[in-house]
Amino acid sequence: MHKMKKAIYPLVVVGMLMAFSFQVNAQCDSEPYTSGCIPKLASGFNFLKSYKIDGQGGTKTKVEYSYVFTKGTQYMINVCATGESTDGIVVSLFDSNRNKVVSSKVNDQYISAIAYPCNTTGIYYIQYTFDESTQFCGGSALGFKR
Amino acid sequence: MRNLFFVSALAFLAACGSGNKPDEQAFLESLDSAAVEGPEISEEVISSVLQQIPSPLEISVLLKESGTKYDKQLLNSPDNISKYNSNYHKALNLGIYGTDLGYTNIYEQNQDGLDYMGSIKDLADGLSIGQFFDIETIGRLATNSKNLDSLLLITTQNFNSINQYLQEQGRANLSVLLLAGGWIEAMHITCEVAASDPSNKELQETIGSQKIILENIVLLLSFYQQVDQNMASLLTDMQVLQTEYENIEIVTTYEESTFEIVDGVMVIKDNSSSEIKITDQNIENIKNLIGSVRNKIIS
Repeated sequence: MHKMKKAIYPLVVVGMLMAFSFQVNAQCDSEPYTSGCIPKLASGFNFLKSYKIDGQGGTKTKVEYSYVFTKGTQYMINVCATGESTDGIVVSLFDSNRNKVVSSKVNDQYISAIAYPCNTTGIYYIQYTFDESTQFCGGSALGFKR
Repeated sequence: MRNLFFVSALAFLAACGSGNKPDEQAFLESLDSAAVEGPEISEEVISSVLQQIPSPLEISVLLKESGTKYDKQLLNSPDNISKYNSNYHKALNLGIYGTDLGYTNIYEQNQDGLDYMGSIKDLADGLSIGQFFDIETIGRLATNSKNLDSLLLITTQNFNSINQYLQEQGRANLSVLLLAGGWIEAMHITCEVAASDPSNKELQETIGSQKIILENIVLLLSFYQQVDQNMASLLTDMQVLQTEYENIEIVTTYEESTFEIVDGVMVIKDNSSSEIKITDQNIENIKNLIGSVRNKIIS
């Protein structure tokens, strides 16, 4: 019986370690994506904000931020996720009346950057949704230029 | 209630002391800490309003792009730092100096920028958030104008980190003051320039469009009016400014936007438009009101 206990003990420890490791992997560390997105802002754009996109393993359907855009200023929003693509993360922009300005999914293609020359000062909503995403995890950067 | 008792007890002790002059700074700090009881509104709501406020850097870029010359006299002297002893004044002036630093950076006035960086670091240390400023790196970047992009990036990141940290630490009141200070300074610079050059309609429109941001600042300050006397007083000043802004009309016409893909980037064509109806007199009134609020903060 004592030998049996001795044999089971390492298995339990390994099992616990594996479970812990799975939990860690399931968490979204968006920092590498947000910091990786900043240099991808097109030339001439000044960095303003970085946004974490954490879909919490698929339990959250959208992540939303807001910012006041100013008339006469051009803004760029890009999305970074695992690999080269956006991993199914779609960014949509809504104006202050919740009219959709644009969505980055076009003809089943995920565009990783949008440029918005703003004509109307107001609060804009930057919404990230997940479309066939595998990681539900990414980052985004917002920049501006005149 | 507990804080009220604490403040009363402190005031009583100060009044009935052994004749020694009370430590003014300690007293101011105790008032500050007493004030941070926290508003009844949730931190998520405060955070969501705070994140909307645009960076003052946008206005500095606008000023430079519109051909306005650099004018150091418009800024708050970094030497004024010794005047700021309470957390309230430290946070507001940290925001003001942050805008001034962005302005000097945009105009590539690196020595002036370093002076502001020194004062910013001292104020930030005083608020226990000095760890977010790497003076050595910033100093190194400031020695070469080719590093402008990196300098702007690192300073923007530093201020973003501070705001995030303050909110995580339950000190969002300081974040509100920091952003309010930054906005007031950007408004002060813009109004002064616009008043001296009435032909610059773009600047006038920018001042008019700040109506939206002012609404946010008033909302944020209103969350704290019951728990912080200083913030309630600033709110009153901002509400006076808001009354002046009621004379400014923003007319928006909505049209669905279109887009095209250019080099992998989705470029939107905004077919909506907005018109801002603002007069020279409005600019003068706003300039005077902002100047008055700013003087209270920096003096």
